Amino acid sequence: MKPIRIALTKGRLEKSTVELFEKLGYNCDEIHNKGRKLILSVGDGKFEVVLAKAADVITYVEHGVCDLGVVGKDTILENGTSFYELLDLGFGRCRFALACKKDFDFYHGYGAKTIATKYPNVTRRFFEGKNMDVRVIKIEGSVELAPLVGLADGIVDIVETGSTLKANNLEVKEYVTDISARLIANTASLKLRKNEIEELVKKMEEAIK
Amino acid sequence: MKKNLKITPEGTKDYLFKECTAVNYVCRKITKVFENHQFHRVITPALEFYDLFSADSAGIAQESIFKTTDNTGRIIAVRPDSTLPIARLVSTRLQNEIFPVRLYYNQSVYRNNPSLTGRSNEIMQMGVELIGSYGKRADLEVITTAVESMRAFSKSFRLEVGHSGLFEALINDLDADPDTKESIKTYIENKNYSALNDLLDKLEKTETATAIRSLPSLFGGVEVFEKAESIIKAPKALSALSYLKSLYSDLLALELGENIIVDLGLLQRNDYYSGIIFSGYIQGYGDAILSGGRYDKIFDLFDVPMGASGFAINIDYLAEQARYTSKSNIPEVLVYAKNDSDIIDAIKRTSELVKSGVKAQFSDLSDEKEAREFAQRLGIAKFEMIGE
Repeated sequence: MKPIRIALTKGRLEKSTVELFEKLGYNCDEIHNKGRKLILSVGDGKFEVVLAKAADVITYVEHGVCDLGVVGKDTILENGTSFYELLDLGFGRCRFALACKKDFDFYHGYGAKTIATKYPNVTRRFFEGKNMDVRVIKIEGSVELAPLVGLADGIVDIVETGSTLKANNLEVKEYVTDISARLIANTASLKLRKNEIEELVKKMEEAIK
Repeated sequence: MKKNLKITPEGTKDYLFKECTAVNYVCRKITKVFENHQFHRVITPALEFYDLFSADSAGIAQESIFKTTDNTGRIIAVRPDSTLPIARLVSTRLQNEIFPVRLYYNQSVYRNNPSLTGRSNEIMQMGVELIGSYGKRADLEVITTAVESMRAFSKSFRLEVGHSGLFEALINDLDADPDTKESIKTYIENKNYSALNDLLDKLEKTETATAIRSLPSLFGGVEVFEKAESIIKAPKALSALSYLKSLYSDLLALELGENIIVDLGLLQRNDYYSGIIFSGYIQGYGDAILSGGRYDKIFDLFDVPMGASGFAINIDYLAEQARYTSKSNIPEVLVYAKNDSDIIDAIKRTSELVKSGVKAQFSDLSDEKEAREFAQRLGIAKFEMIGE
């Protein structure tokens, strides 16, 4: 039987997922000593892990070249469409928030507001839900800069501790949604390899309880 | 302005040689299955009025439809689906036909997918429509046709079967606002257990809420029914469940158990389907390759209530797989006329060879050296010169 292929988001989520795998008793030596290898064997050949940037995890899973994926809810909300979201893994917790300069009354007045963000889809949906027309500007780097230099009235971004906001005289106006790492599955894989995937999901579920 | 002379639009491509052979091969095999079940081919135009696809019950997102206008400014859609055009055709031109009618199609549909996702915007589809009948006999006929079509290409395919009435009954019983209900639909469709549970936690803990919570995990074999019967209490939902159960036992009796999964959480284009729903999967392709079900409601759009069921198969992936196995299309013999006065004999000779089953090609080059070189470069084994 072919190993189940899992796409992991590089970085913090990768570390927590490896910890989870090890807790389940799967050998992760190849991930620890990956060198330049791109496809890594885990659990003595039972699984295959590939490491990818967050948005690419979704792409690989959607196209079915990876059966499962571990990716943040932020990326799912921004990019995701057709796959199954099986499990909230509980780690990588943070929040999407609308923030702006302290003492700025964001909802005051009728002028259309400008929002800077790395997550234009999340932002657009959030304000659509409020029946508000906003101008969305996509920023690639530190979004916090935008309201400070006068590019935007506010930002929609991921907030963990809030210390960057505080240091720049910004504050959270409203939380948009909670975020954590999710286990996602390709639609066809879940049908074709139901038993193997369900077994893994059950084990993970118990381990993170 | 830079002209896009040498490229095709995103999501489209040319099909060449072996790729076409493979498409023909796949279509022939499926055609055989359809025609064996006495379905008859129809062709509808690629352009239809947008109105046909804009009803809520069509379940097609506005942004995914290619649109243009006709010369009086009416909106035209490039068909994103073949079922609605066929329903239009049946409710108008076939009004006086003897029902039920069995129709099939072999034509592309067009979807404006988000860019850079690698999805095709032009999707070759074949499908059947069984129109004018309700109930189990019709459902079984459609499902067995679907199974035979998939079996022609893969032994290890899966066909998952669900029932739209089950969820419909449960969600109608649920005490929640329409937005919440819409979210619940999306979460179940995506098997998003965590969001579904978060949302249901906020609602009153009723039997219905518990039943809805369990839907996404209710997929598998016959054991699913036992589990479901202990959880689901609403009479309408139970009647959908018992229908599905009896259908499933018929499918077992037809020895299809290995390939069929029951999925009570199966929801797709939910305003469109009104009974059984099914999706087919094969190894190596990350999405459903076949989808269908019962959609009686669409004939309400045309004010001629009628039963309707059917499915569509995507040809592209099957053809891509078949390409690797399809035979070479290089001719075996190149027939060359030495002089212009030999042309008639050479053409006659070519058609003689073809009639006897040899892949022969009449050379349209007028220089012997060039013709011989052409044969050699293409790998045509035999060069036959007429007029020596």
